[in-house]
Amino acid sequence: MESLAAENRKSPIIAVRDLVTHYGQTKVLDNISLSVPRGVVQVIIGGSGCGKTTLLKHLCGLLKPSQGEILFDGKNVAAMDEDELAVMQRGIGIAFQSSGLFNSMTVGDNVALPLHEYTRMDERLIQAVVRIKLGLVGLSGSQNLMPSELSGGMRKRAGLARAIALDPPLVYFDEPSAGLDPIIASGLDELILDLNKLLGITFVIVTHELDSIRKIADRIMMLDRGKAIFCGTMDEAGTSEVERVRQFFERRPDEYMAQRTI
Amino acid sequence: MSTHRLECPDTLNQETGGELLRAVHKLHLSGGDELLFDLSGTESMDSPGGGRVLEIADVVRARGAALRIEGQQGSVAGFLDIIQPALRAPGPARPRRSGFLNTFTDKSYLYGREFREFAELCVDALYWTLLAPFEGRGFRWNLFIDEIHEMGVRAVRIVCLMNFLLGLIIAMLSSAQVANFGLSIYVADLIMIGFARELAAIMTAVVVSARTGAAIAAELATMKVQEEIDALRGMGLNVAQFLVAPRLAALLVVLPCLVALGLISGLLGGTAWGVTMLGFYPQVWWAETLNAAHLRDFIQGFLKTFVFAVMIALIGCHNGLRVEGGSRGVGLMTTRAVVMDIFMMICVDIVFAAIFYYALA
Repeated sequence: MESLAAENRKSPIIAVRDLVTHYGQTKVLDNISLSVPRGVVQVIIGGSGCGKTTLLKHLCGLLKPSQGEILFDGKNVAAMDEDELAVMQRGIGIAFQSSGLFNSMTVGDNVALPLHEYTRMDERLIQAVVRIKLGLVGLSGSQNLMPSELSGGMRKRAGLARAIALDPPLVYFDEPSAGLDPIIASGLDELILDLNKLLGITFVIVTHELDSIRKIADRIMMLDRGKAIFCGTMDEAGTSEVERVRQFFERRPDEYMAQRTI
Repeated sequence: MSTHRLECPDTLNQETGGELLRAVHKLHLSGGDELLFDLSGTESMDSPGGGRVLEIADVVRARGAALRIEGQQGSVAGFLDIIQPALRAPGPARPRRSGFLNTFTDKSYLYGREFREFAELCVDALYWTLLAPFEGRGFRWNLFIDEIHEMGVRAVRIVCLMNFLLGLIIAMLSSAQVANFGLSIYVADLIMIGFARELAAIMTAVVVSARTGAAIAAELATMKVQEEIDALRGMGLNVAQFLVAPRLAALLVVLPCLVALGLISGLLGGTAWGVTMLGFYPQVWWAETLNAAHLRDFIQGFLKTFVFAVMIALIGCHNGLRVEGGSRGVGLMTTRAVVMDIFMMICVDIVFAAIFYYALA
């Protein structure tokens, strides 16, 4: 029994094998393989249009690949039917780039939605948990506001509060710091680290904020035009032989930009 | 001033926390008392457990007492750190309900302001549609042509179908009554006068409002939500010139044409009934129909269409530009536009009927 639990702890929570996917005729992801152990903060980086968000949507079960496997806890997400997918998605939290909040409900109702749907907590307890989650992301007291009354950064944080409502073991976060000021962004980094250490939540984060990456990333995968060009730790990234990786971390523009003579 | 002590079990979750909450309810807490929450024996805690702590804090606060938490260690201490912000923050402010007089004056002010905005949009739009192009001040001909295709050409089939069916139904209903007196041929007159004066215009305008009015409102509302209107104004461009005028001009061209097609379709619908069910020769039916045609009826019907066109375009644009609140607002404003259109049509109809009946009879 114990060794089984230990086995589970050692097996990766997400394992992607040879993932290929197309939009129409265009191949957008080309043979991606990735293994995410439990309890790490995995960061996926890359230039615009390299397929990061597409990869994330495949991992969440929102898109189906043309080829390959995506194993969540050993079960292939790509082969799941609707019911199995629903069960899997209860065990993950997704925080979208534009928050994905429902405009017709208040912030409090948005965060309470997973609690209402998937738990048997009474209403007062649900409200108390909503207060905890909103307090965590720095939005105390905003339960009765509508999403359209919040700024972009506040909406993003409300989206994260909803993603962690059920304390999922795995949270996907698409561009957490985009559009946030440095103070809030660093607060969000601290929050991610706290949740990771305290609750053991595994994070898969798509981002390109270098400061965040240096602070929170345990492992990094870099995509370039649909291919995985680097997989490893922060230190390995700094000394990588792959030019594009070094260019990313040293924040150097492309050659055609550097050659302007203005 | 007394101190009560509450010992927490080794796991603090929804169930154990619930028991603690019930215990707190049973305590005789009063102002100035203190509740000591002892977590030294607690090894694990989850979010619902944290929620229970918050509920306990609420009860304690409501009774005027103070809550002190002690003995937390390890992961429980970390968890308590997480719920600190929620513990410290008071509950959200309840919205206060205003009295009747306040609501009445607020609403009156809002309606007045809306009417003023609508009037301003009308004047702007009519200027940029009817006067500015002739002053050489720029008109989006490309959008104008596209909209003529979208609003007009693509609506022909549904307009003709609706009017044909309406003509058929009216012929069917009226001939049942009139046949008793042997006056069935006069159904042809009825159809001609009815469609020329009223029905072609109204039926076509309703169809166009549902199609085009809703589309204009939805498109402009979505543009507003996605900050495209701000982008337009930030570039110094005029919304009435850029967005409203081409649509208004297209509708002014298209609606009378659609009404004409609708009129013909309605007559054909009536003829279909008269010839197939009432047994008249087509030539006889047509002769009676054309005999009943008077210029005054056509003028009455067609003048209305210009007013309808202006109103459908402006109501659609006005409501679209006033959207608030994201995706839900887009739905609300689109519905509002169509309902206002239909209400407006009836009002305009009454005005025209009054003018033509009393003033020009």
